Amino acid sequence: MLPRSTTSLFCVLFQALSAVSQGLGEFETVSVGAPVNGDRFRIEGRAVVTDIKPHDWVSTARVLVEGEEDHVGFLKTDGSFAVNDVPSGSYVVEIVSPAYKFEPVRVDITSKGKMRARMVNFIKTSEVVRLPYPLQMRSSGPPNYFIKRETWGWTDFLMNPMVMMMVLPLLIIVLLPKVVNTSDPEMRREMEQSMNMLNPNPELPDVSEFMTKLFSTKGSGKSGSSIKAGKSGQLKRR
Amino acid sequence: MAAMVNWLVFLFGLVCLSAAVFEDQAGKFDWRQQYVGKVQSAYFDSQTQASKKLLVATEQNVIASLNSRNGDIIWRQVDKTGPEGHIDTFLVHGQDAIAVSGNGRLLRSWETTIGGLNWETLLDTGSFQSAGFVGVQDSVKYVAILKKTAISLHYLSNGHQKWVENLPDSETVQYEVVYSGGSGLVSVLGVVPHSHLTITTYNLEDGEIMKQVSVEALWLESLKPGCAVVRDGVLVCADPASRSLYTLKLEEEHEQEMRQVLLQSLDVELSDGFQPHVLATQPNPARHPNAEFFLQLGPDHHILLQLGDDAIAPLRDFQQNEKALRNVEMESWGALLVSFATTGEKTVAVVMSPKNETAYSINLFSADSGRRLLETTTTFNHDPNGGKPERLYVHAFLKKDDSVGYRVLVQTEDHALIFVQQPGRVLWIREEALAEVVTMEMVDLPLTGTQAELEGEFGKKADGLLGMVLKRLSSQLILLQSWMAHLWKMFCDARQPRSLVRNEVTIETLARDEFNLQKMMVMVTASGKLFGIESSFGTILWKHFLQKVQPGSSFKLVVQRTTAHFPHPPQCTLIIKDKDTGLITVHVFNPIFGKRSHITPPSLGRPILQSLLLPLMDQDYAKVLLLIDNEYKVTAFPSTKRVLQQLQEMASSVFFYLVDSDQGKLSGFRLRRDLTTELIWEVVIPTEVQRIVAVKGKRANEHVHSQGRVMGDRSVLYKYLNPNLLAVVTESSDFHPERSFVGMYLIDGVTGRIIHEAVQRKARGPVYFVHSENWVVYQYWNTKSRRNEFSVLELYEGTEQYNSTAFSSLDRPLTPQVLQQSYIFPSAISQLEATITEKGITSRHLLVGLPSGAILSLPKMFLDPRRPEVPSEQSREENLIPYAPEMPIRSEWFINYNQTVSRAKGIYTAPSGLESTCLVVAYGLDIYQTRVYPSKQFDVLNDDYDYMLISSVLFGLVFATMISKRLAQVKLLNRAWR
Repeated sequence: MLPRSTTSLFCVLFQALSAVSQGLGEFETVSVGAPVNGDRFRIEGRAVVTDIKPHDWVSTARVLVEGEEDHVGFLKTDGSFAVNDVPSGSYVVEIVSPAYKFEPVRVDITSKGKMRARMVNFIKTSEVVRLPYPLQMRSSGPPNYFIKRETWGWTDFLMNPMVMMMVLPLLIIVLLPKVVNTSDPEMRREMEQSMNMLNPNPELPDVSEFMTKLFSTKGSGKSGSSIKAGKSGQLKRR
Repeated sequence: MAAMVNWLVFLFGLVCLSAAVFEDQAGKFDWRQQYVGKVQSAYFDSQTQASKKLLVATEQNVIASLNSRNGDIIWRQVDKTGPEGHIDTFLVHGQDAIAVSGNGRLLRSWETTIGGLNWETLLDTGSFQSAGFVGVQDSVKYVAILKKTAISLHYLSNGHQKWVENLPDSETVQYEVVYSGGSGLVSVLGVVPHSHLTITTYNLEDGEIMKQVSVEALWLESLKPGCAVVRDGVLVCADPASRSLYTLKLEEEHEQEMRQVLLQSLDVELSDGFQPHVLATQPNPARHPNAEFFLQLGPDHHILLQLGDDAIAPLRDFQQNEKALRNVEMESWGALLVSFATTGEKTVAVVMSPKNETAYSINLFSADSGRRLLETTTTFNHDPNGGKPERLYVHAFLKKDDSVGYRVLVQTEDHALIFVQQPGRVLWIREEALAEVVTMEMVDLPLTGTQAELEGEFGKKADGLLGMVLKRLSSQLILLQSWMAHLWKMFCDARQPRSLVRNEVTIETLARDEFNLQKMMVMVTASGKLFGIESSFGTILWKHFLQKVQPGSSFKLVVQRTTAHFPHPPQCTLIIKDKDTGLITVHVFNPIFGKRSHITPPSLGRPILQSLLLPLMDQDYAKVLLLIDNEYKVTAFPSTKRVLQQLQEMASSVFFYLVDSDQGKLSGFRLRRDLTTELIWEVVIPTEVQRIVAVKGKRANEHVHSQGRVMGDRSVLYKYLNPNLLAVVTESSDFHPERSFVGMYLIDGVTGRIIHEAVQRKARGPVYFVHSENWVVYQYWNTKSRRNEFSVLELYEGTEQYNSTAFSSLDRPLTPQVLQQSYIFPSAISQLEATITEKGITSRHLLVGLPSGAILSLPKMFLDPRRPEVPSEQSREENLIPYAPEMPIRSEWFINYNQTVSRAKGIYTAPSGLESTCLVVAYGLDIYQTRVYPSKQFDVLNDDYDYMLISSVLFGLVFATMISKRLAQVKLLNRAWR
């Protein structure tokens, strides 16, 4: 950003001796509000929407100068426009169209009728980034008026962190015994060893076993006696 | 830093969700109606037989093309407002529409099929007189523009100037008419009033003066509207004083005199107030006009005349006389409006005559003979409440059997356009008065009959226990019945395709919906026509034209009684103030049906300065309206004995204020018991320095839910909620950009105490502002940095409340703390309003009308003077957005997406029955109605609520439990067997 702005500043410096910078000085004194009994000028330019013929959109578009209805321009059937009767001053020129979005441009007109176009910058108002004059307004496409609805898809569901946290361990539990060959006695011994390391107290009941027993009690009342016995046995063991 | 940015993005996302529209919601509960304004001139596109285009230019400086089959706008171009964009002349030739606008400043040519500009030419300054096409050898190539001092000729193809010539003796001669008959010459006719007539003829090729003739005409004052050129360049003028017609040949070589023909010699009856109007026709600008012309003799009396070689012959007299009324067989037509229409080589005269109170008939007459053409009568009905027909535009065409068919566009006094087709079918009506809505109100719809009966049950005195129970049961039964009927209707509708369902709303089926989202919009237009529009589809349910309203009057609409007081009908009062005299007339009506109320409005002989609606009600639940006249006397309406008694009791607590912007004076008054007033305070803002631009209080129906704001450190900052606070905006009298300023005064309306004063230096108006709750938001133009800026003022009492139960302006020792912040707004604005909801719980948004026609919904959160420059832990806790100088404008926040509202003149907001929902109507050249949800729809399910997913998950779970139960049983059984 920095090099770009300096180059444009240079542009101005080069022309500093000519009318433009003198004009800039005048902008500060020439009032915009009070009518100036001076010459009136014409702002010209062309609006382009890529791949769309001007025929299709010019009737809904207008050119506004400083957003007010004091100066209004209409687009010709080829996309060019002219705003007549504009007194000297500094104006923001914009093309308003419900179908296409255009960036506004600031146009400075000196009291002698010299024109220049620059980028609109409301924060640093004196910064000059030159743009071509006659204006070339290129549309950045249709504006986005709507927001997308949140649609429900399987991917959203699966990518949910909570679901991931639940699904991954499940996969490990289900798949790991299948990957590791459990019939190999050596492997089995190894696993048992590691399990013992993990579970230092063999006296403690296995949690999974406990859970299945607990749920099956609730699930069926008919064959509950044996389980009840088991349960009480466990409790006793504790 | 990165964290802050993240956090900001998150916040933006949050806010963005709350304001935007979903794509599938477009057109679901919002609608737009586009208008063009009062039509000045209209043309039918008669290039082809099947053409359905109608070109109009209007007083709202709009050029548009309408579809003549259904009245829709094909394209529309809106020029600047006011006299600068005023369309002086509108002419159509083939594919091109030529318009001269801005008092002859600009000449434009429009492409009529797509509405693009062909070319635009800047004309020299000078007041515009007339314009006309000029043709040579049967083709139209030029357009001639006549100004006060010069005449210029332009090519029709590119607008370039062929030549311009100064007119001779333009200081004394007023040039009015330009005429060309296709002979290579252009004649300019001018008048020196009561002296002579001058004819200057120019050569078409180089603008050389070929001939200059001056003819004595002592009686002649002006060429319009009593003169016209007919036949091969013969000027016909009517003189009301001598009751005669004068003729003059324009292209005669030698000096001549005007020939006089006495109207009596034509056997014509004349009424006393004879204001002649001559109407001729020139079907092709490259040829001579026709020899026939109409002469208007009275309001309902026209005569068709023909200029022969040496005499004027009457062809037909159109007069509605007493004899004809009695004798039906005798054919006679009064002529309210007349017009010519040409198709091919045939020219017909079209005459519209009143048939009876509600109907008009249109007839065609052969222009050459004055004979009536058979089977051309069209009779159409017209609402007697509407205005009378004013203009007539006719499109004639040849049918297959070589007879003439026609379509008629009738324009009425109340700006309506009625399109009539043979034999008397009204194809469409456009209510162009709605292009100038001045003020509006939204009124709740009445309950249905059954609901009302249920309501009425509570009001009545008991008929005993059993009676009450029976009544209750019967009304519940009725409700059940209607609910079943409703369900059945829903079921039937669901089976039909969606497009057919769109149920028609009529005045009979009007009923409040369960969330009170559908309301009646009462719109008052500048023409004096009132409309009742139902808000969910935009159907016009009633219209009422007030005949006597002068143009330029100001209107104030108040709702005196809402629909809540069944069986009393709702009541609206419209106060119409005449611009010149200041006298008012009062129109009292029922807002649901549009009927004038039987209540006699108060008669007022003096100009009225101020009106105010008190919360006080009379025995019929109508709120009391006070009208203060220029002698500071008060008239109450309604003024029954009880109201006057109540007023006397309350008098000491009724205060009002008056603004005199010419003297820069704000004064406060108190009501006395005898309905006189006493001045209690006065604030003078010297007019040499600044002038008062606008004064606004708060809305009376506004509710504030929370009394304070909880801050990051868990303390409460209490809002300063003064209901009597006035926001006064001033602008400096000095317009110099260095010295101009905008002032904002906050004044207590009861005590006159200036609570706060803010001055924005190097700023100028127009100032748009909103005053609500404890804040004022205003927008102005910064002359130094040449940008629009928003500023917000918020008033707080501090961390302790002085009196939390009631607010009294007289007992507030502490001045509020005022916080202010300003922001850059990257666009000009055309309107500003705030959303409003039922209970004020929902967060507020500002609705900003932009010049592009979009309406931006800007969260009030962005306009919070407590936005910190450096975010701290506490500010984050409070959800304050860090300060950024430039306010964002995002197209997702446009509540009207691409449905722009041209020249927005007002945005009206009304609460609905749902706390989350605010109804919005934007009006200007167009009318747009929608709903906004500033804090999303928190009290109803979203439209995209996934019923399918929820129900399928539920069913799935039930199914899964059943299966797993079975499986568990099998497993247990197996284990038991083991």
